[in-house]
Amino acid sequence: MEFKEKKKRTPNIPTASMGDIAFLIIIFFMTSTVFTREKGIKMLLPERTESEVKVKPENIVSILINPEGALRLKASGYDGYEISPDKYSEVKRIVEEKLLERDTLLVVSLKTSRDAPYKAMVSVLDQIKLCRVTTSDGRELRANKISLVPTSEE
Amino acid sequence: MKKSIIRRYTQTPEIPTASTADVAFLLILFFMVTTVFRATTLHLKINLPKAKSTERILIRRNITHLWIDNNAKVYIDDNLVPKEKVATRILPKIAENPELVTILNIHEDIDYGTVDVVLDQLKEARAFKITFATEFGG
Repeated sequence: MEFKEKKKRTPNIPTASMGDIAFLIIIFFMTSTVFTREKGIKMLLPERTESEVKVKPENIVSILINPEGALRLKASGYDGYEISPDKYSEVKRIVEEKLLERDTLLVVSLKTSRDAPYKAMVSVLDQIKLCRVTTSDGRELRANKISLVPTSEE
Repeated sequence: MKKSIIRRYTQTPEIPTASTADVAFLLILFFMVTTVFRATTLHLKINLPKAKSTERILIRRNITHLWIDNNAKVYIDDNLVPKEKVATRILPKIAENPELVTILNIHEDIDYGTVDVVLDQLKEARAFKITFATEFGG
């Protein structure tokens, strides 16, 4: 009988490239991931109050939006100033002017007709949000007090 | 000078690479577990209005979405909600997280009346932090 010494071979799986594979997967997922970025205009809604908030009329800029998207602006010095839909940048000019005059007391009241398109309201809100003025003592002012009011056509 | 008789071993320096795979898979698992998927991709026809003052919203956790599509139908997180019942849907979310920001994705041609009803509902639910979703440009 022949006794052959059997060589014991330990089977092994090459693991040297495992790391490469894993990092390849990481890089694949990193490059193929698309992040959804939320973007928009931030607003803070006021609390519902029973009592009316009293604001001096000279501190208010009120902007009415009619169903056609045309504006009527009321403020001290601008009584019933009309702005056509293609001249919304006028809003920015006037609000900035009032902002310099009234400082932080300024309230912008955006009165939108219930039949007006939402995009008209957003365009005007956009103009108000773009307002930025620097006072003589170096503070940067923005129109922070914005109230959204609906109006009904009679 | 005496010559050293001690035999010097030339050592090849080695970095152990056996565990790189473990590290890499650990990273994969970590990112898999921490990833939060956006809950919804609704097939709604919504053209967001364009605005120059559009800001990036950096917070990702404390947000909830509300959609109003071109037929003035209101959706909150995948569900169709009657616009007068928005408050009842938002209220439990606010109770859970008072810092919640509601992102309003509203079709640009919707009447403001519909938007106002929803805003009023949000006030009722004390969801004061809102964002009007817009696109860059204008």
